[in-house]
Amino acid sequence: MNWVGLWTLTSREVGRFFAVYRQTIIPGFISSILYILIFGFTLERRISTIDGIPYTMFIIPGLIMMNTLTNASSNSSSSMLQMKLLGQLPDLLQAPLSSFEISMAYIVGGTVRGTVNGLLILLVGITLGGISVIQPFATVGFIILVSVAFSSIGFLLGQLADTWDQLATLQNFLLTPLSFLGGIFYSIKMLPDWAQTASFYNPIYYMINGLRFTILGVSDSPPMTSFIVALIMTIGFFLAAVLLMESGKKIKQ
Amino acid sequence: MTPAISIRNLTKSYEDTIALSGVDITIGDGEFFGLLGPNGAGKTTTINILTGLVRKNEGDTEIFGRDTVTDYRFTRSQVGISAQEFTQDWFFPLDRLLYFQAGYYGIPKEKAKDRVEELLSKLGLVAKRKARLRQLSGGMKRRFQIAKALVHDPKIIILDEPTAGVDVELRHELWDYFRELHKKGKTILLTTHYIEEAEMLCDKVAIIDKGRVIKEGTPKELTSQLGKAGITINVSDPGEELESCLKNFTYTQEDGRIHFTTREPEEALPDIINALTRHGCHIQRVVTTKSSLEDVFLSLTGKGINE
Repeated sequence: MNWVGLWTLTSREVGRFFAVYRQTIIPGFISSILYILIFGFTLERRISTIDGIPYTMFIIPGLIMMNTLTNASSNSSSSMLQMKLLGQLPDLLQAPLSSFEISMAYIVGGTVRGTVNGLLILLVGITLGGISVIQPFATVGFIILVSVAFSSIGFLLGQLADTWDQLATLQNFLLTPLSFLGGIFYSIKMLPDWAQTASFYNPIYYMINGLRFTILGVSDSPPMTSFIVALIMTIGFFLAAVLLMESGKKIKQ
Repeated sequence: MTPAISIRNLTKSYEDTIALSGVDITIGDGEFFGLLGPNGAGKTTTINILTGLVRKNEGDTEIFGRDTVTDYRFTRSQVGISAQEFTQDWFFPLDRLLYFQAGYYGIPKEKAKDRVEELLSKLGLVAKRKARLRQLSGGMKRRFQIAKALVHDPKIIILDEPTAGVDVELRHELWDYFRELHKKGKTILLTTHYIEEAEMLCDKVAIIDKGRVIKEGTPKELTSQLGKAGITINVSDPGEELESCLKNFTYTQEDGRIHFTTREPEEALPDIINALTRHGCHIQRVVTTKSSLEDVFLSLTGKGINE
C-alpha cells in the first residue's frame, strides 16, 4: 500500500474544494438558510406540523441530505472529469498508485465535502430551526454513510462522462429530481397511493427518512430499512466505482 | 547486466488502426537513447505502454528486468516522465504541485523539500513558485514539466518531445541540463522531431515508422551506413593521368569538378589531397558534405521526419 501517495491525493482532493469554498461550501449553506426562511416560515402557517413536528424542523433533515448527497457526488465527479479534461490523469496513472488507492482518495474527498456540508446545514437547523438532535452519533454516522455512497456514485459518473454536459445531465435529470421526490419537503403520507408506491423505489427516500429518524425521531420508512438501503447503496456503488477504475474503461486506452 | 528498459515484440492496435506491430527496444542502464519517428509512428504509444497509460495487446515491457504490469509499483517508481502535452491545474501553485507529485511516488513533503527547492532553482522557477500554471509562459511550462518528471529522483527519465515549442536559448539550456543528468548516470529515453537534438545528445537511436523499429544504432553508425557523405574538389588542371592516380577512390568527374563518395569524409580527405597534389593538381576549392540522421531517416522511410 502506498500510504504517502494515498494521503497526498486525498489531501489534494480535500484541499481542492476548500480552495474554492465559495463554490463548494457557501452556496449550500446559503440556499439551505433560504429554504428554511422561505419554505419553512411561510408554509408553516399552512402546514403547522407533520407527525407532530413543526414544518420548519421537518424539512431540515431533507435539506441536510440534499446538500450532503449533491456535494459528495459533485466533488468526486467533477474532480475526476476535470482531471481527464486538463490532462492531469496521466500523473496519477503513471505513478506507483493502485486503482484502489486512487479510488479511495477521490471517494474520501467527496465524502469529506458531503459531510462538511451536511454538518453545516445541521448547525443551521440547530441555530435557526431550533432542533435538538435525538441521536447525534447516528446522525453524523448516517451523513458519513450517505456521503460515501454518493461520492462513489460521483466517482463512477466522473469516470464514465466525457463532457461537462453529460455530467450535468446526470445531476440535473437524475439526482436532483430523486432528491426532491424523496420527501425533503413533505411526508409521503401526504401523497396519493401511486406516488407513495413510487417513492419506495427511490433510494433517496430511505436516506432522508433514515436521517430524519436520527434527528427528529419520526420517519415514513422503518429506520432499519433506511439503514440497510443506505448500507447496500454504499457498498454497491463503492465496489462499482473501484472496479470500474481497476478495469481502466474510459480511463486507459 | 540487466537493461534499464526492455521492450520485446510489443503490439497495440486501436479498433482498425495498428499502432505498434512488434516493437523491440533494449536500453542499457545509463544510456541516452533517442526514439525518432514522424507523427503517428508509435513513439508516444510505446512510452505510454511502458508507463502504464495504455494497455498493450501483446509483448513484454520491463524496467530493470521487472514487468511493468505485474510489478508496476517498482517499475513506475523508477521512471520520471516529461510528457509532450502540458498539464493544466486551476487550483494549486507550482511548488505545491511538485510536492503532490513527490507524494504520489511515496515521498512525504518534508523529505521532498530539498529536491523541490533544487529543481525550482535549477530550472529557473523560484520566482514563479507561487504562480498557477496558467500564468506561465510556454517555456516555463516546459521547465515545470521537466521538474515534475524529476521530483522523485528517478533512475530513468523519459523526455517526450522536451524541447517542442521552446526558443533556441532555452533549448540549449535544456540540452546542457540533459547532458548533466546523463553524466550523473541517469538513463534517458528521448523522443524528438529535432534530428540534431538526437545526434547531439544520444548514445544510440532507434528509428520507428508505422509502428515498427526499422533501424537502430549509434548516430555515427547509422549515418556512416546509410548516409550520403562526400567530398567535392575543384581542380584547375585535372590532366589525363588522373584516373590512375585516384584508382583507390570512388569518384565521379565532370571537367575540373571531382566528387568523391565516402562515408567518412574527414578521414578520407588527407589521402585524397595527397593523391591530387602528387599528381600535380592545383586544388581550388574543397567542400565536404557530411550526412545527418535526417538523411538516414529519409533514405529509410522515404520521407522527412516532420512530414
